[in-house]
Amino acid sequence: MLGRRSPDLPVDQEPASHVLRATGVGKKIDEAVLLLPCDVELGHAECVVLRGPNGSGKTTLLRILAGTMAPSEGEATLDGGTVDERRDTTRTAIAALIGAPATYRDLTLVDHLVLIDSTWGRVGPRAAERSDEILELLEIDHLAERFPHELSSGQQQLFHLSMVLVRPSSILILDEPEQRLDPDKRELLTRILLDRKAGGSGMLIACHDPTMTAALADTVVDLQSA
Amino acid sequence: MTAADNQRLRQVRAAILGNRPDTSLSNAMYPVYVAVIAAGSYGVPAAQQLFRSLDGKWLAAHAWTPLGGTVLVAVAALLLALVRLVGRVHGPVVPPLPYLELVVASPMPRKVTLARNWRLSLGGSVIGGLLVGLVAGAGLAIANVASPGVLLPGSLGGAVLGLLVAELWLQGQVHASPLGLRPESSLPRGRRNALALLDIAGLKRQSASNATIGGAVLAGDLRTVRLDAARPATHARHVRLKASGPLLVIARRDLLGLRRAPWSALYGLGLAAAGSAGLMLSLQSPRTPTVAPLLALVIAYLGFGAWCEGLRLHADNSGTSRLLGLAYRDTALAHLVLPLSAWVLTALVVNTGLSLAGLVTPAAFVWALGVGALLAGSHLMASFRGLPPAGVFGPRAGVPAMVFWYSKPLLATLVVGTATAAWAARTATPGVAFTWMLLLTSGVLLWGLVLVDKRDKRS
Repeated sequence: MLGRRSPDLPVDQEPASHVLRATGVGKKIDEAVLLLPCDVELGHAECVVLRGPNGSGKTTLLRILAGTMAPSEGEATLDGGTVDERRDTTRTAIAALIGAPATYRDLTLVDHLVLIDSTWGRVGPRAAERSDEILELLEIDHLAERFPHELSSGQQQLFHLSMVLVRPSSILILDEPEQRLDPDKRELLTRILLDRKAGGSGMLIACHDPTMTAALADTVVDLQSA
Repeated sequence: MTAADNQRLRQVRAAILGNRPDTSLSNAMYPVYVAVIAAGSYGVPAAQQLFRSLDGKWLAAHAWTPLGGTVLVAVAALLLALVRLVGRVHGPVVPPLPYLELVVASPMPRKVTLARNWRLSLGGSVIGGLLVGLVAGAGLAIANVASPGVLLPGSLGGAVLGLLVAELWLQGQVHASPLGLRPESSLPRGRRNALALLDIAGLKRQSASNATIGGAVLAGDLRTVRLDAARPATHARHVRLKASGPLLVIARRDLLGLRRAPWSALYGLGLAAAGSAGLMLSLQSPRTPTVAPLLALVIAYLGFGAWCEGLRLHADNSGTSRLLGLAYRDTALAHLVLPLSAWVLTALVVNTGLSLAGLVTPAAFVWALGVGALLAGSHLMASFRGLPPAGVFGPRAGVPAMVFWYSKPLLATLVVGTATAAWAARTATPGVAFTWMLLLTSGVLLWGLVLVDKRDKRS
């Protein structure tokens, strides 16, 4: 009755192997150049970090590779096909945190994670536990029953990261995940992302933190100012 | 208040005005002038037409009985309770932010610095009540429901109600203060005491909200108005959302949302019950005035809408990173499961009660089911309509064009619902009218889905 559903994913399965590629991808709107043409390739259990000054097009490139924006030149592909967020295959493979994600003001933090987990077909005895585990992993389990408007700026960022981490994915796309986090939390996040990478996740991250970049990056792509 | 305080306030006002003339009195009087003209030109003809369409004889026989008086008092009490709630979000004393920062925050007594704003709201409320009483009285007299003598008690009653509205409105604002009441103070102890209890943080919050809402209304952005006016959820935080299938979890989310906003749930229930009862009753007699199904549909639309917060939040969230595993359109449709189920249950209970009382037949329930689908379609339209097109803001378009643009979902409901209900009440084959209603409802649903898909593509 309700049309297509995303394919159910087996619980705690190792991420599938995908290749995300940008070939000569650039973005212009009329005369405004948002991103100069560039190439990026991301494979299984690999981390690519994007660097560059403000306005160099990092977020634009992330949006294009997450399939939420079309490039004006070049091609962005996932396993050879066009990246488009409206396709089930793209949404299943890629979990992106680019800007603040949608939240429901009448749900608590743990409710959000249960909701996201359930819509990916991951029901069963571990569904509620998994949400608690993610909150514990990010050390915000004591905030589980708070509403989003009751969080500080840094807590909001950790909550947004938990929403991306709880859903199944093979590729993580994160736009400055370190922003608003204190040094301890940045270190914690680095450890979590390293574990994800060791588990087979590919990662494309825009990052301004040199310590995190050194710890995570297999490849660093420096974007030039547009 | 001392003479020295008043003198200081006059100096402050002179400093704010500079060399400009003081136009505050004419600024305050202009809306009164417009309201008086509108009441005479549009209010009185509309009121008398309304009283004529409501079966004047029946109204004349029942309006001046103890039951009529009780209904009138109950409606007034409901209005006062509502006004007090409004005061918590937007009170009668909301000066502009610079005045708050520079004058109200100073050591001058609040009952001095805020008195002017309070007097404007109080005056507006009393004059508004007086005009409503006059218009209603004139309408009753012209429609021969009452003698012209009703004008005096009508206008006096309206003015008193306006005074009570202003007082309760202010009480609501004071009670919303994050500091709470001072131990030595209690309400009601006169409005001067109330003005002194208003805290600067609360005043600034309401003033900022006033600016946001004012800008959003001018820009036609009702979403911002709704989000700004809504109170954040804090109830039932210990109740957890239960993991379940992808579609069921969305309905459970909406149910949990209503549990955390119990007033919305109850408000929706009351209006949906009243609306469905009105609809079913209006189908039973060809003599039912057309205004009856019209009013019932408006009430039902508002009741159904109170249960659609999940749907509206889904529409609000478009354009952000998507993390749910359901397609955009599927999520929107899943958000209709709860309001539709609640509507069906409410209509079933109302139909059972009215059937047992011999007022309607069980077949009227089938009609209510069709109306439920119509309401679902119109709320899809309302939630996903987005912002008005640029043409609505053109110099030739104006406010009526914007009101029309925003009213399209409600108008679709009223046109389809009223026309088919009137047809069904007057024909020997109501099944044909029902079939037409279903066909037209499919069109409204399809229109709603087109808007959902458009929003999906844009985001």
